[in-house]
Amino acid sequence: MSEVVFSTWQDEFIDNRGKSSDEWGQSAFKLPEDYTADRRSKAFIGWDGVAIFQEDIDAIRLATEYAAQYQVYSEACGRCAPGRWGGRILFDLLDKIARGEGTTADIDHLKEVSETMMLTSKCEIGRTVPKPILDLMEHYKDQFDYVIDNQTPSKHYNADVNYIAKVTAPCTDMCPAHVDIPAYIEGVRDMVFSESLAATRGTMPLAHTCGRVCPHPCEDACRRTNLDEPIAIMELKRLGADYETDHGLGWMHPFEPKPLKNDGKKVAIIGAGPAGLTTAYYLALEGIQVDIFEELPVLGGEVAVGVPEYRMPIDKYNKDIELVTSMESVTVYSNHRVDATRLKEIDAEYDATMLAFGTRLSKKVRAENERPDMDGYWGAIDMLDKVNLWSKYGIGSSASEDLKDKTVVCVGGGFTSMDVVRCSIREGAKKVVMIYRRDEKTIIRNTTYEEYHEAVEEGVEFIFHSAVEKIYDENNKLTKLLINKFELVPDPNGGRAQLLKIEDGDFEIETDYLIPAVSQAADLQLLPEEWEIKLTSWNTILTNGKDYMTSRAGLFASGDCEYGPMTIVNAVGQAKRAASVMSRYIYDGKISLTDDEIMEDHLNKLRVYDKKEKVTGWMPGLPRAESEKLGVDERRDNNKEVNLGFTGEEALAESERCMRCYYISMVAV
Amino acid sequence: MTAKKIDTNSITLTIDGKSCQGSKGDTILNIARANDIYIPTMCYLTKVEPIASCRMCVVDVEGVDGMILSCQEKAVDGAVITTTTDAIHKQRQSIMKLYDVNHPLECGVCDKSGECDLQNKTMEFDVAGQSFSAKEPHRPVQDWGFISYDPSLCIMCEKCVHVCTQIVGDDVLAISAGGYNSTIINTKQDEVCSNCGECMSVCPVGALVSTDFKYSSNAWELEKIPASCSHCSAACQMNYEIKDTAIGNTQKKIYRVTNNFEFSSLCGAGRFGFDYANESVSKDSDAFAKAVEAVKKAESISFTATITNEEAMILQSIKQKYQTKLICDEARGYQKFLHAFSSMTGKSLYSGNLQNLSTSRGIIVFGTRINDDNPMVKYHITMASRRQRARVAYMHPIEDSSLQAIITQFIKYEVGSEEGVAALLAYTLLDAQKPTKVVQAYLDDLDIGNLSAESNIGEEELDALLHSFDKKSGFTLVVGADIYTHPKAENIAKILGLIQAYSDFEVLLVPPATNSLGVALVCDLDDEVEGYSVGYNTKADFVLSALGNGDLDMPALNQQEGSFTSLDKRVVPTNAGLPYGGYTLNDIANALDINATNTIDYTVKLPIENGYQAIEFDDLPDYYNSVGEEHRGYLLTQSRYKKNGKLDEVSTLPTYDGSVIYHCNTNTQFSAFTNNCEQLQTEALLRGSAQFASIAKLQDGAKVKFELDGVVYERVFMIDTLMKGTVAINPSFDMGLSSSTVSSYRFNQPKLETMDS
Repeated sequence: MSEVVFSTWQDEFIDNRGKSSDEWGQSAFKLPEDYTADRRSKAFIGWDGVAIFQEDIDAIRLATEYAAQYQVYSEACGRCAPGRWGGRILFDLLDKIARGEGTTADIDHLKEVSETMMLTSKCEIGRTVPKPILDLMEHYKDQFDYVIDNQTPSKHYNADVNYIAKVTAPCTDMCPAHVDIPAYIEGVRDMVFSESLAATRGTMPLAHTCGRVCPHPCEDACRRTNLDEPIAIMELKRLGADYETDHGLGWMHPFEPKPLKNDGKKVAIIGAGPAGLTTAYYLALEGIQVDIFEELPVLGGEVAVGVPEYRMPIDKYNKDIELVTSMESVTVYSNHRVDATRLKEIDAEYDATMLAFGTRLSKKVRAENERPDMDGYWGAIDMLDKVNLWSKYGIGSSASEDLKDKTVVCVGGGFTSMDVVRCSIREGAKKVVMIYRRDEKTIIRNTTYEEYHEAVEEGVEFIFHSAVEKIYDENNKLTKLLINKFELVPDPNGGRAQLLKIEDGDFEIETDYLIPAVSQAADLQLLPEEWEIKLTSWNTILTNGKDYMTSRAGLFASGDCEYGPMTIVNAVGQAKRAASVMSRYIYDGKISLTDDEIMEDHLNKLRVYDKKEKVTGWMPGLPRAESEKLGVDERRDNNKEVNLGFTGEEALAESERCMRCYYISMVAV
Repeated sequence: MTAKKIDTNSITLTIDGKSCQGSKGDTILNIARANDIYIPTMCYLTKVEPIASCRMCVVDVEGVDGMILSCQEKAVDGAVITTTTDAIHKQRQSIMKLYDVNHPLECGVCDKSGECDLQNKTMEFDVAGQSFSAKEPHRPVQDWGFISYDPSLCIMCEKCVHVCTQIVGDDVLAISAGGYNSTIINTKQDEVCSNCGECMSVCPVGALVSTDFKYSSNAWELEKIPASCSHCSAACQMNYEIKDTAIGNTQKKIYRVTNNFEFSSLCGAGRFGFDYANESVSKDSDAFAKAVEAVKKAESISFTATITNEEAMILQSIKQKYQTKLICDEARGYQKFLHAFSSMTGKSLYSGNLQNLSTSRGIIVFGTRINDDNPMVKYHITMASRRQRARVAYMHPIEDSSLQAIITQFIKYEVGSEEGVAALLAYTLLDAQKPTKVVQAYLDDLDIGNLSAESNIGEEELDALLHSFDKKSGFTLVVGADIYTHPKAENIAKILGLIQAYSDFEVLLVPPATNSLGVALVCDLDDEVEGYSVGYNTKADFVLSALGNGDLDMPALNQQEGSFTSLDKRVVPTNAGLPYGGYTLNDIANALDINATNTIDYTVKLPIENGYQAIEFDDLPDYYNSVGEEHRGYLLTQSRYKKNGKLDEVSTLPTYDGSVIYHCNTNTQFSAFTNNCEQLQTEALLRGSAQFASIAKLQDGAKVKFELDGVVYERVFMIDTLMKGTVAINPSFDMGLSSSTVSSYRFNQPKLETMDS
């Protein structure tokens, strides 16, 4: 709900002009009435309408500035005839009117050009820019008429007003890393793969990785869904990264990295996982010295030692890592454990420190007789460490020595548990069982359809609506489990269905291993007690989720140790934002956000994707491209990458389904 | 009666009331075009992916809201489409108004006038004036060497960028997006640009024009003479555009070359290398009489493969009548290679072609510096690389930096080790295939470790090669000129024949010169010149030359009609762009009582047993249809070949230690004829890496002298910083009648003599 003078946002119509305050209607949307806590917005104008927050608004200048912003954003315009010429003419005509030189013919031309832009533009930005301008011309007609009739400048033509604009897209907004998705898809469509990659790396250094193992929340906000099926956004990301790797080309950065500043300022990063690497990359692009401290002998964090090879080939991930470590200003110290004492030293030595150590403690399943020292009880993180260190790096020994011909029971339901069971199959286990409290639909929602079905194909047995009640052992060796069965009982009052234990539904499973993969916790021992770092209620490091500084000045946190076990893309998004904040903090000691970041947060709150919107101007019914996967017999006994990726033709066809839903929005402050 | 096969891929739609067939995946526009239904476009170019910048092609689809972009949107079975409604017409008109905003009214002097899409569509949509305008930034004209770019004429259709990226693969042009200030930029200037002129050829307006042609003629004054390019074996479709040299000088002149850019492409030599005619020649009857006598008494006739099929036929007739030996260095090695290859495949021709190459997903290039040897083959590899994400392995002793963004694996082998490399390839590619027992035994007997060591190809490289083709289909092996003159060429041919016979690979044996394939199929060639010799464009006792420096002048190929046999195994017609006043080979033949009124009377007589058809020259078709299917001449008929090849053991590989010289022309130079072209002028340099310089003890800029196959070269040596390794590159295009006289293996180790500069 927002307080507005006037709004046409998303087809609402609120006009409080001249009404007494008790008659005022409110907007149903979370519009950015206050740009920041101490700066009130005058107006907000965007793809879906215009909202005015202050009575005394210069509607003509607002429209003119909006048209001007459309000219400024290079990625958004100039790629089609209606957009390139139309956008320029919109601005020139509006400015002419605002200067006091307009005629009524100009108004007609504005309407004519707007219509062509709205009907035929290549991107949504060209199709939507005229809408709020036409709204203003209609509902603030008196202002337009006045300046034309009197040949006088608009009322605040020379006033000092800030117009802050941002281009976004529904997918970009939903992506935690706010990747410029339409741009990287356009790069594929144009077969200029280097540009595709540069667009991805604008906010996402792990292009190989997030082109393979991202759960792609963006696809839930893909406007193509309103027409048929969402674009295969994630898989198209691979193309640019594969191009660079396949052809052995030099690193493609979003811009030429700045040379190392050598001004004595430096940043420490604890942990070389996605969050740490991302922080390092964006600071390094700015020429800021970065030292990364990593406890393990290998870089990459949980994606390296947790995510299996068949899902995320290490040679590809290593390319993402090399991109970061090859930067002039990045130094890596691996095998370097940071404890509380060391952290205090680092904190004293560096101008800012990023905590990005993830969540590497497996949580318990909370069963009777659950003792981690029991032989056969194996935490998921430890188990995956062993599998991956051996299969990817030749460190340690093969997990098949432990798992061959054994029975493995995993308790979980998320990605980590899927990795456990599928790795167990590959290590030669004879029987692999997944115990999950909820149902098939939920496990698919928590992971992906492919992940679940591929596991089933490979021979994993899923037991739904079940939980481990008790663990049996003989001489501290795990022997069997007592499993409870539950059923989902609908609430007669229409509430949430209840999981109720089925009496006499219990059964036992004989097993060699129980691998808990229910969740992970952050290992917080490295935080010096006297710092009294504030934590969340689930024992992760607390920040405000906007600038990522902890309760201690100069100490930042991002990724799983801040959020709890979450996705790679979430860690990247947090770290990218944090790196930006840190890049200023180390010079001015202040916590600040750029206008772009402030707008990003406003738009995210407003929500960019409208799933009820009717999409026109595109042929419906074009199926989403499916990439080829290795057959079950080709994959179940090895670590070959399962997803073969798109062929060139599939990628092109898929990229041509993208509707380039760029939107531009602007706040007048 | 058999049940009618239902094609599940087929779709039917209704366009403007007409029922039209198409296939799943076809765009609305292409189905319309195939059915002769017109939809206006400004940015559509068939040979690249839809660009979608002009928005002119919007159509109405029943039941779908909004205007649908027909160039990009795939047709759905049963769709009912209307190509024009009042509303659509209004929007198209409106787009044309926008395109016309501030477009300079300089049609009077613009090169494009008369063939300009903007001009045509402005008329078509009846845009008579400009009722609004925009503030125009200053956009100065840019000089890009062969091409000038005038951004104020540019309509940002992006066709130029798309051909540069998707077909040529130079990635030189890019879009600098920025609203009304958007422009096309040349990211590399001419440093890496191969000057192919593709960008210019597809420009629908006068923004990209030939610097040479600019302001020299109105388009409509030029007469188009359809032809085939004579510079390499791709024999691409093109037109010579001619008119009077000047007011008062009615001698015809070629002003430019154009082509059917919608569907086909040209390289720089084809497009800019047209002025090599042997001009101002009149009938010198004394010289002619001597020539007739010379041919009559000649024991050998040597010639280049830069001749037509018909001329080859005349030479063959002379041989039949006088038992004259026929020597053609540019075709003999290839001919023997093809025979040996066929003796293993059982087929008279190789299986590959350009179309299949461009849709391949796995490509191996072996024994050719392909970007220089045959740009058109490189374009088709680019298409495969970009559009199919093809894995492309480039196997050669010299890395070629211009191919980096196209290839996915460079496999370097030792100079001279091609036989071993071929064996390793066969071993790798036929693994898991099922060849005959004999073949399997041959492969099993190969000493892979030894071959790998001697060729310096690691087994892991071969594993990676094989792995990169995993789960893919559509493979082409491109074989080039290094191999045809290798001392063990015939055994290599047989080994590569196995790959065509027993694997999924199609093999494309790129002919080394324009009509090497035609000469190889038409003439019975001999190995060496003996006795008194006549040379046709080569050095000999009596020289017939189209280069203008022989004992009797001959017409150049842009002054002749006839046909070539292209690398696509297609017999393509070419016509005379310019008249020729002197005697031709046919005149000599007539004087020897080998009678034919015109040279093209031989077209119908080309040897049927070798795949030619008895079709008169004038009946050869020469067009592309509305969806780009090529109807130029005809395809050779493949016939069975006696499968009697015997494989030799792979012999010990000779070593080439120290500095080596590789015979190779540059990207826009193929022969003495291209060297005669004004725009292509470039200095012939010996180019090598710093490493070569140090081994050969040559300074950058040093003058050196060396001899290859009896030809003495004097060259300035230049260090090329893009090159690596110990092999330098020596061109021969500037060597006149000796240009084509490289009969031995392309790699040599001549003694380098430093000269005083």
